[in-house]
Amino acid sequence: MAPPVAPATPPDDALDGDAERPRPRGLAADTGQLLIEGVRAFRGLFDVALRTVYWSLKGRREKGVVLEQAFEIGNKSVFFLTVTQGFIGMILVFQSGLQARRVVPDLTMLGATFLELLVRDLAATLASMMLATRVGAGIAAEIGSMVVTEQVDALRMCGVDPVDWLVVPRFLASVVMTGVLIFYAGAIAYFAGGATAWAVFDVQPQTYLNARLLDIGDVSIGLAKCVAYGAAIPIVSGWCGLSARGGSEGVGIATTQAVVFSSLAVIILNLVISGVGFVLFPV
Amino acid sequence: MPPRRVIELRGITKRFVDGPPVLRGVDLTVPRGCLYGLVGPGAAGKSVLLKLVVGLLRPDAGALLIEGEDITGLDELRLHRVRARIGMLFQNNALFDHMTVGENIAFPLRRAGVTDAAALAERVADRLRMVSLPGFEDRMPAGLSGGQKKRIGVARATALKADIVLYDEPAAGLDPVTSQKIFDTLRAEQREAGATVVMVSSDIERLLTITDRVGMLHRGRLIFDGTTAEALASRDPRVDQFVHGKTDGPL
Amino acid sequence: MSQASEREGLSAETGRAILDLAAEVGGVAMLAGRLLRRLAPPRLDGPELARNLHRMGVKSLPIVGVTALFTGGIMVIQAGVLIRRFGAEGLLGWGAGFATLREVGPILIALMFSGRVGANNTAELGTMTVTEQIAALETLAIDPLSYLILPRCIAMVVMLFMLTVYGDVLALAGSALMGQALLGVSVATFFNGFLETIRVWDLATGLIKSVLYGVIIALSSCHFGLTVTGGAPGVGRAVNTSVVASATGIFVTDYFSTYLLG
Ligand SMILES: Nc1ncnc2c1ncn2[C@@H]1O[C@H](COP(=O)(O)OP(=O)(O)OP(=O)(O)O)[C@@H](O)[C@H]1O
Ligand SMILES: [Mg+2]
Repeated sequence: MAPPVAPATPPDDALDGDAERPRPRGLAADTGQLLIEGVRAFRGLFDVALRTVYWSLKGRREKGVVLEQAFEIGNKSVFFLTVTQGFIGMILVFQSGLQARRVVPDLTMLGATFLELLVRDLAATLASMMLATRVGAGIAAEIGSMVVTEQVDALRMCGVDPVDWLVVPRFLASVVMTGVLIFYAGAIAYFAGGATAWAVFDVQPQTYLNARLLDIGDVSIGLAKCVAYGAAIPIVSGWCGLSARGGSEGVGIATTQAVVFSSLAVIILNLVISGVGFVLFPV
Repeated sequence: MPPRRVIELRGITKRFVDGPPVLRGVDLTVPRGCLYGLVGPGAAGKSVLLKLVVGLLRPDAGALLIEGEDITGLDELRLHRVRARIGMLFQNNALFDHMTVGENIAFPLRRAGVTDAAALAERVADRLRMVSLPGFEDRMPAGLSGGQKKRIGVARATALKADIVLYDEPAAGLDPVTSQKIFDTLRAEQREAGATVVMVSSDIERLLTITDRVGMLHRGRLIFDGTTAEALASRDPRVDQFVHGKTDGPL
Repeated sequence: MSQASEREGLSAETGRAILDLAAEVGGVAMLAGRLLRRLAPPRLDGPELARNLHRMGVKSLPIVGVTALFTGGIMVIQAGVLIRRFGAEGLLGWGAGFATLREVGPILIALMFSGRVGANNTAELGTMTVTEQIAALETLAIDPLSYLILPRCIAMVVMLFMLTVYGDVLALAGSALMGQALLGVSVATFFNGFLETIRVWDLATGLIKSVLYGVIIALSSCHFGLTVTGGAPGVGRAVNTSVVASATGIFVTDYFSTYLLG
């Protein structure tokens, strides 16, 4: 008896996947609209973040839920990280080796400089950009499809805050797993870079393995980034998923937004933390 | 003496961003112990109305009272207290895909504080018998037919023995025999418990065999509200056409 | 699904993963070949191309702009560590500009573009595939490749290239501003250092790479969108696979192009 939800062949303008129709409007109206939407979106994100923190401290969790999510995050991304970070390590050492040879002919500090850069920034940021893609999209897709199938409404009917039930386990798992995966990804990049340095520039491993430039500032900044990215990705993606509207198309849009916005969150946090770190820990 | 009006909508208006208003000033009262049938053509706003009643959506204007308490502006935490007294079947069933059928039905009970495993299992088995699906506890929702999912949804909605139950299409996708059986069972249980029920269904003929009162939504307005007998005898051509399923008429 | 893979050994699983990968790469190559044949002589829907150019490019401006500005700022901070150590302010323009133009700018903008435009494209084509709209085009004797796919691919390549130019400019602006604010290096010093050390070739390598990344994103997003199976959940999986494949492809390509372009 249930009527079909969508006609088999949507009308012609359905070929345009973007929800908004181009309507002739003034630039001022457009900008105003964008601003209002931006403010509303930001308030929504802030609300999800607050509730995530609140329920992380306050809520009770069934055993194994967080562990399951942690496994999911790791399982999804280990292979992807290995490939991308391996190539990044090789590219960076190759590129900076070429440049450094022009300025200073000796490459003994190549490994030490690279290690410092990895710890301060690159390991965390590049791995997190990848995790934003892989993990963020997954979170938004899962939560978004629960929204459009009314499962989230059903949770709310049973007195459950969807943020507590859906976002918090992923948040806790992500904070831990992002740290672990960043460490892993950093190691892959470091050793792939070492192999390149040896093969291309003839830098011996004992010269390359040099942690002399590493100091407490680098490590603190790196750890701060691990925690901040690990927290931001599930919150931003969970918010995208919870804002999904409409049918499967809505889930698609939420997924795309999760990738874009969590990558953007990583970039913005990177600037903030790097800037603060630069001021706090003068070289 | 508790208030006689269990659900009361006063001038409820709702519109979504970028769309025409879905509900335009709906007034509706459901008295205690009444089985209220809500009908109307597709996209009339029936599902939206049910979600407004439990605070899953918020009205743009108007007031909403549950047992005399104004819930229009309540925050989510206070709404939980109100919702704990209400059972709801969603049009898409909204079964949790990551839980078995048994866990789905037990979920509202657990959240209401029932922890005794034997009592939970007993209640789940009872609900499954009610919808003629005994022994389905360990199946996953993904492996069920459309009609079976619907029936599990009904079982979950009634798990709590709530005072107020809202059903969105309890018989959609069911064969005539099963759907009549579901209607009859829900009516019998509602009578026995003295519960207040709002039921949305497009199976008008069967629905009208069990309702006390009927309301018809059309283009966002409640164009009819009265007893079942009044509905069947209504002179309003739109109600007449809809209730008797005629193809020619104003709709 | 997980049960099946648990029972199989690791080697069987790896073997299958490699076969799957080969099949997907083969699929992408076939798609590329079929598209190339439609380029000479060009058989392509003009209005459709214009529409895609507009929505893929213009709507990405804000996101690419923010990414580029912030990236420029970050590069200055990272370079700032070295500048402080060697005490050469004039090197700031070189340190930030070189890395931004050659590597970081094109890569980050491509990743953002892949998330915004590539993923959207896969979702759209995937939805059209599972609702049989593509098959419907074929029954109307309209070639989906020239009508639907080629305009999108060309639009993606062109737009990523132009967005990279735009992003490069903004990233340098971000670097100059951040250098001023955080290191006290004046904008003039920054650009003097930049102009003295950066060669046109540095800019060109980055832009050549952006074209390659555009091709990768276009092909992979179209390929995974056209081969969706399994209804709406299949579309979700395809979007995810396409974004991951694009990112992987971008890094692999970056490695080899850095090696070849020097
Ligand atoms: N979350 C939402 N966002 C935007 N529009 C919505 C939303 N929910 C419902 N609508 C719109 O409100 C209108 C009424 O929807 P509703 O689901 O209440 O119809 P209905 O009477 O239940 O119809 P049916 O019998 O087909 O289930 C529809 O036009 C629908 O598009
Ligand atoms: Mg409905």
